[in-house]
Amino acid sequence: MPDVLPQLRHPTAYEMQRALLHAPQLSPRDYRHITVAPVSGAIGAEVTGIALGAIDDAAMGEVVTALADHLVLVFPGQTLAPADQVAFARRLGPVNPWPYARPMAGYPELTELVSGPADIHNFGGGWHTDSSTFPRPPAYTVLQCIEGPDAGGDTSFANQYLAWDTLHETVCRGLEGRRLIHATAKGFGDHSRSTGSGHVTTTPVVVPPEHEGLESRHPVGRTHPLTGRRALYVNAGFAARFEGHSVEESQPLLDALAAHGGIPEFTCRVRWRPGTLVVWDNRCCLHYAHNDYRGQRRVMRRAVVEGEVPV
Amino acid sequence: MGYVPTFTYQAAVCHAPQFAPRSYRHFTVSPLTGAMGADVEGIDLSSASDAAIAELEQALTDHIALMIRGQENLTPPAQIAFARRLGHVGIWPYAKAMEGYPEITELIQEPGDKYAFGGTWHSDSCSFEHPPKYTMLHCVACPPVGGDTGFANQYLAWERLDPALKAELEHRRAIASGRLGYMTAASDAEVQSHTATPVSFRPEELLEVAHPVARTHPVTGRKALYVNSSYTLCLEGESQKQSLPLLRRLWEHAITPEFTCRLRWSRGALAIWDNRCCLHYAHSDYPGYRRHMRRIVVEGERPV
Repeated sequence: MPDVLPQLRHPTAYEMQRALLHAPQLSPRDYRHITVAPVSGAIGAEVTGIALGAIDDAAMGEVVTALADHLVLVFPGQTLAPADQVAFARRLGPVNPWPYARPMAGYPELTELVSGPADIHNFGGGWHTDSSTFPRPPAYTVLQCIEGPDAGGDTSFANQYLAWDTLHETVCRGLEGRRLIHATAKGFGDHSRSTGSGHVTTTPVVVPPEHEGLESRHPVGRTHPLTGRRALYVNAGFAARFEGHSVEESQPLLDALAAHGGIPEFTCRVRWRPGTLVVWDNRCCLHYAHNDYRGQRRVMRRAVVEGEVPV
Repeated sequence: MGYVPTFTYQAAVCHAPQFAPRSYRHFTVSPLTGAMGADVEGIDLSSASDAAIAELEQALTDHIALMIRGQENLTPPAQIAFARRLGHVGIWPYAKAMEGYPEITELIQEPGDKYAFGGTWHSDSCSFEHPPKYTMLHCVACPPVGGDTGFANQYLAWERLDPALKAELEHRRAIASGRLGYMTAASDAEVQSHTATPVSFRPEELLEVAHPVARTHPVTGRKALYVNSSYTLCLEGESQKQSLPLLRRLWEHAITPEFTCRLRWSRGALAIWDNRCCLHYAHSDYPGYRRHMRRIVVEGERPV
């Protein structure tokens, strides 16, 4: 095991500021086709002045640039038809069906995530990055709010470049070249445990038989293919262990890295309205769906854009 | 076929909205999350009627933290006068008061400051025998983005604790001390020389006091978890070392994202919160910008 646990501590205010100062988040560029307003000092920007259903190449280029700078883009008031949401997602890369849920009728690329009033669990609770157990996890997720509570059901995001940049250099060195085994069975339970577990969420999530034992090995610090920046890539709910080590050996360091990744200074919190569409980059951020709207219904439509093998 | 997952990676923490739906006559209240927090608009704190103030206190009881917008014209004496309508105004002994206004502490963060005031989860001055019930901050200047304040509902934290653990902790007390946070800040010369709001503590001034792990709110009658990583030293009757594993578990649980909200500042806004049932955290994510708050605390009762 990398012996880095003793050096893992909360960054000082000075270390935090140094990391934040060098990030593009606080220095938005000048854009000609869109208006970009950061929502926190760490991550996320609201983008206005553009209709995503009819976006031209020039504006799309600016969206891609803004996405690389801010990691999460919030587009209020879009209300895209299913076909338009898929078309927009395709501008970011190939869009494939998500194999763990039945797709929306007529749109194999879209998953409709429905929370019913009686649901105990929600979809996407807990800090995570999407589908890290896949050999090629999605680069982007494109999520639109169709219906939701007036208050509650926010999504938080955490910048994992900052998480990496604020690790003590001995920790970074210790994690260099290390890989984590991400396992579907860890986050979604194994078959034996879930049999007969009954009602979980309104959207029937089903792990297909060929995915039951799915595991992938990914670097702990991955390099973003566009920005070249390093990001902490610990998806604690699904990362079962360090390569070459047992679950028991790995757990203390996994827990500590997970806690580090969620430090409030790395985060922003996004509030949804029907018609709000959010795009985030799974390669460099975590997200968390807040489950604080019991008794109400929430409907979201999701497309995921193909990514590369993490390096 | 496949199998239906159990979502083992997340805790079952779901809850319905915590506030009672209520209509307000003197201003509008917009809840921010299902856990706590609301934006208030349409009230002038310097000229509000008694009925409006009573209603505001009701909203504060319901939502635990309020961000009251549009108070650009609230002068220091008017802020003190508003605070007095909510109770006795306390004097915070650990920082120099604003010139001419002993009740006000100015919290100023300059662009190059190396110490972030309030940058841990805490409830204000809970090492005092009578910790303040309310804290209010009036925003004189804030960065264009960043510097939010996070809050966590501690009624929910207590209610959602494992029942066996609740039973074990129900009648326990914990020792709170200013030694942890204050001393670190005050003893670090580097911090002191790069901080616009110097804090000064003499070790003999730093109190240690035993408070219930779960305190009962005098108005709502609900119990709230009352330990935090900034002040709580140990459980009464146990060493720090013995207490730490359980305390760490409680601290982590206390800030479960489902219990939280996040308030974004605007110039002229005044935020007020109830320290008896929430924790807060100042986000230090605005390097290069200045932030200036005027703080007043309203005295509270001894926690029971």
